[in-house]
This record gives sequence, structure tokens and C-alpha cells, in this order.
Amino acid sequence: MTKGQALTARGCRPLVAAALVALVTAGAGRAADDTSDSEIVIAFGAEPQQVDPTRSSAGVDGYYIDLFYEGLLAVTPDFERVNWLAESWEVVDDDDEGLRIAVKIREGVKFHNGDELTAHDYAYAFERQSDPVSRTAGRLRHVGGIRVRDDYRFDLMLTSPDGSLEPLNLVLSAIPRKYYQEVGDDGVQAHPIGTGPWKFVSRKVREELIVERFEDYWNRDAMPVAKRLRIKIIPEDTTRVAAFKTGAVDWIDAVPPALVGQFETSPGVRVVSLPTPNNLFVALNAIDPASPFRFPKVRQAVAHAVNVDDIVRYVLYGQGIRTAQLAPGTLGYDPELKPYPYDPDRARELLAEAGFPAGVNVNCYNLTTPREPYFKEVGETIFAYLAEAGIRCRIVQLEYGAWINVGRRFVRPTMDGIMSTMWGQGLPGDPTDAWSGHVHTAGDGWGTYSYESTPELDVLIETLRMTMDADTRVALIMQIARLKHELVAGGLPTYRPMITLAWRDRIDFAPWPGAFWRSMRGMRSAQP
Amino acid sequence: MARGVLAVDARHAERPTLKGYILRRLMQGVVAIVGALLIVFVAQRLSGDPVALMLPMDAGEEEFAAMREALGLDKPLPLQFVVFIGNALVGDFGQSYQWQAPAMPLLLDRLPATLELALAGLVFALLLAVPLGVVSAVHRGGMVDRVAKLFAMLGQAVPGFWIGLLLILFVAVQLQWLPAFGRGGVANLVLPAIALGWYPVAAMTRTLRSSMLDILESDYVRMERAIGLPERWIVWRYALRNAFVPLVTMIGVYFANMLGGAFVIEVVFAWPGVGRAVVEAVFARDFPIVQAGVVLAAVVFVVVNLIVDLSYGFIDPRIRHG
Repeated sequence: MTKGQALTARGCRPLVAAALVALVTAGAGRAADDTSDSEIVIAFGAEPQQVDPTRSSAGVDGYYIDLFYEGLLAVTPDFERVNWLAESWEVVDDDDEGLRIAVKIREGVKFHNGDELTAHDYAYAFERQSDPVSRTAGRLRHVGGIRVRDDYRFDLMLTSPDGSLEPLNLVLSAIPRKYYQEVGDDGVQAHPIGTGPWKFVSRKVREELIVERFEDYWNRDAMPVAKRLRIKIIPEDTTRVAAFKTGAVDWIDAVPPALVGQFETSPGVRVVSLPTPNNLFVALNAIDPASPFRFPKVRQAVAHAVNVDDIVRYVLYGQGIRTAQLAPGTLGYDPELKPYPYDPDRARELLAEAGFPAGVNVNCYNLTTPREPYFKEVGETIFAYLAEAGIRCRIVQLEYGAWINVGRRFVRPTMDGIMSTMWGQGLPGDPTDAWSGHVHTAGDGWGTYSYESTPELDVLIETLRMTMDADTRVALIMQIARLKHELVAGGLPTYRPMITLAWRDRIDFAPWPGAFWRSMRGMRSAQP
Repeated sequence: MARGVLAVDARHAERPTLKGYILRRLMQGVVAIVGALLIVFVAQRLSGDPVALMLPMDAGEEEFAAMREALGLDKPLPLQFVVFIGNALVGDFGQSYQWQAPAMPLLLDRLPATLELALAGLVFALLLAVPLGVVSAVHRGGMVDRVAKLFAMLGQAVPGFWIGLLLILFVAVQLQWLPAFGRGGVANLVLPAIALGWYPVAAMTRTLRSSMLDILESDYVRMERAIGLPERWIVWRYALRNAFVPLVTMIGVYFANMLGGAFVIEVVFAWPGVGRAVVEAVFARDFPIVQAGVVLAAVVFVVVNLIVDLSYGFIDPRIRHG
């Protein structure tokens, strides 16, 4: 809907309404495709910076990247990982060529400029992404190179087994080698070209992106029906909601949790709340000799002291999924593993048993930037619960940059007490990277945010990272989760936040998990 | 007028030339800008390491070291500052960490949007402040004066972003008269301009009122009344022009503030200006953008104030001759 159309509609509402009724009555049998030419206006709360998947530096970049580019594998709305641009793939280990992942890509897949996707494009993608300037080069740390076998076959040559490659959809994105070499980095930023269902039309930074459906898209079953999207960037929550209510936009992300109930009861509005990839937890310094959290009983006291269910219910308006270790859907999720019950008396007993009958005083680090909805308030509520059980906080409020720095193991100052924090595990989720980062003992590329050191967990996590068989990985994850839960090691998991999307019911929208539900693959216009 | 001329005549020989005055003000401006550069440089580095934000969570120490080296953050701070100043002189504030593009051009691209908003905010403020200030002074203690006082008090007490949110809720959402966000036509400009101009209206009204009261009680106004000039002429043609000098100073200061400081209003209205770019850069600890933004604001402030100083002479010839 253009602004002009919106204004016209507002000025002539009774007439338009009457006309709509007449149209609906008269044209009840019209197919959605007949009306798919209208433009759909969308508002995102955050703006991606990079549109090149080999130069992406933050999760938010995926909002745009996922419109234009595709991976070898993909996750469907029911959280099933399926072959996507890869027609097939297998892990091969033989004496001749060693350990590798042999990939056969689909034939006849076209880029937006008409070039055909070939294995050579993947060799180029590897070259770009493994370049040290790429901020995600680490994902390919165990891939020594690409061997192109023919136009549609290539091997990822592994220097070591790596279980995180499959959850990352085999990492490599389909980028057009010739186009990239021709236009360079600036050209790609100005006009990205991939194989995805949407092709670039124009972009005004900090204002809007316009995309159109790619008519030669290879996967007709997953092709969007809407013809054109205009994506507006509106960072302020109130303004984004206002834009939706005025009819200036048809679809918004990140409805503030406090307003979800109001949206759910608004006529003509559809709402869905979905899991995000972040997993929140309370980090505890269990390695400092002076820290009371070296003692498992003190950590268990923390687990009993905090009423996470009430935090989700009252602080987050229900917009969170309580976790014992992992959220439902995550690889290795164990429904039998239940969160510690809220029991402040038991928490005080455990503190006394650990030798702290008078309680403890600790530094508690909190993030003031709204990285997740009400994150600051959640941290403060957690610290208040802890105080009730005898774990008294000196709260240190930090903005985002300082908070990241305090969390990092080898950046000073380090976290010396408790920290309300998070680690993304992807959708549907695989905890390998997260546990490697904040549960494994720090050092040699492990434990970049870890304040934990349990040799048994280290061995299990290392084994998990090097295991590529899915069933074995599930068993290992469940084993680690149980041990982690018992020892409250690597912090206390709390919840996985949810995001709420809202759209007008003239739109038929089916959310896909790509780029955190914003890939717009399932966008269609149901009514004019 | 006579008093000013006499006072200056006594020191006529030492009076600085206009050229010298401009040069001195320019030098002061350069000092102010270098000071701003130093403060931004030190404050940013004291507040933490930007590399932690730029690298993925699983990045190891080697990747940290490589990134610090690539960005020159491994060098001693004085050396970093010297390099920074040298580059700043030619407008090079480095590559934005997030956008991976030169920082200053990224901001200059956004300057027209901010200029448009600031001008609109200023026009709104003047359209309201001038009549309110004049009428309050003419009808001192009357109903309009009392309403203007209340308005000024509210204007000073209520922050612009709050006004912005109220305008969005009532004018955009409830009444659906104007768009709630974004840059486009004149309609898009109205609400952010009101939110931005709201605060200066109060201060300008009070200043103009005081100034007008002084002028209206002066000898020459009494003389004009005595010779029978219409009151409307006296107020709007003679008194207002003379009362305008202190207001011009305020206009300069507020306009410079609007250009460099419309941060919150730009965020609230999703206005794609310099302020919003800098706010986002602060949260992302994107040093080059923040540094370029602060320097840009400092330069704008210095230049606008210089223009204001020079404009006094055109408004009031006594200043030009003095």
C-alpha cells in the first residue's frame, strides 16, 4: 500500500468499506494470486547493515540477507532441516581423500541476474568467507578448502570432524562469483544478487528497502505470492506500533510484549508469537577462588532462589519459553529435565550447607540496553529474588558495549560475580557453539565467555563438537544437559524470549524461521 | 544610540577590524573542535573495547588481536590520537565498523534530512514564539501573557521526545491526520518539527517578551507614541526589530542544537538523519561514526554561531558601527 493509497483509503473510508463489501461479495471465488500485485508495506524494528552473506557481522544482517540469498540446507516452518540448494550431501571418510562432506547441488538454479548457480560459486564463497576480514570465518575453522568435482559437485575438505557444520546449514551461501568479481564489495552492497525468492529493487539506508518476487525462482512450492514488499525501518516501538495502527504499514515485527494482548483482540489483525534463537541465562563465576559460586550448592541455591515462571508471566507478559537447559525443538531437548522449583527456603538451606549461613554479597552485572524485551527489568527482578534468599547484589548496570566486554573472558575487567546474559543457539537450535563458549574451560578458542571449569564437561563438549552423526549428537547433548543441570554449571538457564509479529488480515502470512522469522518467504496478499 | 557611539569612540584606535574578529572567532572554533575531538577520543576508549562487539561470540584471542591490529587499536593511545587528528583534518574518520564504508560520507548523506528537520523545527518555533512573545509584552499581565507563561513553563518542563510520542498517539493514531514516521512530503515533516521546535518556543517566547518590555519602555518608543505613530507600527516595525537581537543569539544556539542534537526526535519519528545514525553508532560502539558525528556537530555549532555573531551588525547598525 502506498502512502497515497493509504490517505485515500482513510479519507473515503465509508465508501471504501462499502466497496470492499461489494467486492468481497461479488468476487468471493477469486484466487489469491489474482490480487497478488499489490505492494505490502512492512516495518522492521532494526536495520541490517550488511547485505553480503560473506561479510555479515550480526544476526540482524540476516533480515535482508535471507531475502536474497540461500543456503545449502534450510529449516522449514515445522523446524525440519531439509536439503535446499543441496540436492544431496554426505560425510565421506576414506583413505584416498580423507574426511570430507560431498555435496551435489541442484541443477538449473538461477541467480537474479540470470546466471546459473554452479559449484565454482561455492569455491568462491569459501574463499570470501574464510578470508580473515570475514567476521564469520571461524565457522569454517575445520574446513581446509573446497574441491570442485564438476559444475554441480564439490567437497568440503575437513581438517577435523565438526558437528556444528550441519546446524549452520553447511555454512556456505550461494553467491554469484562472476557478478561479485565484476562489481566488487561496494557493488554488492549497492545491489545484492542471490538465488533467493526476493530480488533487490532499491534501498534507502535507514528508510526502506524495496524487493520484488523473483519470477525465475527455482522452488515453485516455496515461492511467495506477494509481488512486491516495501520494508520500512522504524526502530522506536511506539512509532512502529503507531505506523501499524494508522494503516501506514501492513506487517510489523517485535510487537512490545505489553501490547501483545491488545493486538490479539484487535479486529482485522493477526498475531503470532514465536521463539527467538537467543537463550538467556544467569552466568555465575565458578572459577575465581574468592567466588562463592565455586560451590555447587551455592549455584543450586541460585537455581532455587529465582522464580523464573513468574518473571515470564509478569515481567514478560508471557512472552518467553521457560527452559531447564534447552528450549523445545532444540537438538537434544530433553522434556524430562525440569527446571529447579522456586523454593527460597531450600535456597537458604543450601547456602548454609555450603558454609554461608549469613548469605553472600556479590557483584551482579546487568544490561541496560534493550537487547531483548525488558532485559534490564528481568535482570533486576532476578537480583531481587536472589537478595530474598540471602544472595545480596551490588548491581552494576552496563550499556551494551561494556556488558559485552565484561562477559568476555580475556577482556578486562572480567565478570567476578553474577551476570544476566544470553547466547543464541539458532533456530530450531543447537547448543554446541553456546556450550563451547560459556561452559567449556577457557583457552585455545574455547570458553570465550566461560566462567566454568569442569573437566568432565570439557571432554563431553569437545566430543560433541567433533561428532557429526546426528543420533550420537542428540545423546551427547542430553548427557551434557543433565550434568550441567545437576551442577548448575555454565550458569542458570532461564528462558528463551519470543517475538511477536502482527499483520492485517488482508495478508495471508506464514512465518518461516529463516532470519528469525523475517524471510518473508510465506508472504502473500489475500485481499486487495 | 548616542551612548554606544560615544563609548566606542574613546577606544577607536584599538578597535579590532572585522577581519581580525572573524579570524579570532575561527581560531576559537578550531580550538573547540580539537577539544571535542580529544574528549570523544578519550571517552570512547575509556568505555571499553569495540572489538568485542565486532567479532562473533566464539572468536578467540587470535581473532581479537588480528582485528585490533587491522583497526590500529593495538597502537599506543597517543599515537592513535595523532593518527586520528591527522586523518580528521582531511575528513577521514575511518571505515564504519558496522557499515564497512567511510564514516563521514555516511553521515553527510544524512545531513540534508537533518537540515530539513532543523529548519522546519526552527520555523515552527519562530512562528509561535514571535507572536506570543510580542503579544505577551504588549498585554503584560493579561490573559495572553498568562497563557504564554504557562505554555513556556510546560515547554521547558516537557521533553521533546515525550511531545513527539503524544503527537504520534493523538494526531497520527487517533485522528489519523498526519503520518507517524519517516521522511517524505511536508506532511511527514509536521509532527517531528513540532516536537523538535517545542522546547525553543518556550525559551524564545520568554526572551522576546523581556526584550520587548525593555524596548517598549525606552525613550524612543515614548517619542514615537508622542508624535502619534500607530501603536501597531511601533510594536511590529520598530520595537520588534530592536528586540530581535537577543533572539538571534538564541536562534543560532537552538538551530545548531537542532542540527547536531535532534537525536531523540529522529529516533522517535524514524527520521533518517545524522542524529539517528549517531545514536545507533553509540549503541554499536561504532567509533568512526560517533567521532565523525561529534566533529560534524561541533563544526556546525561553531559555524552557525559565527554566522549569528556576524548577523548582529545587519540587524542592529549600532553593533556594526561599534
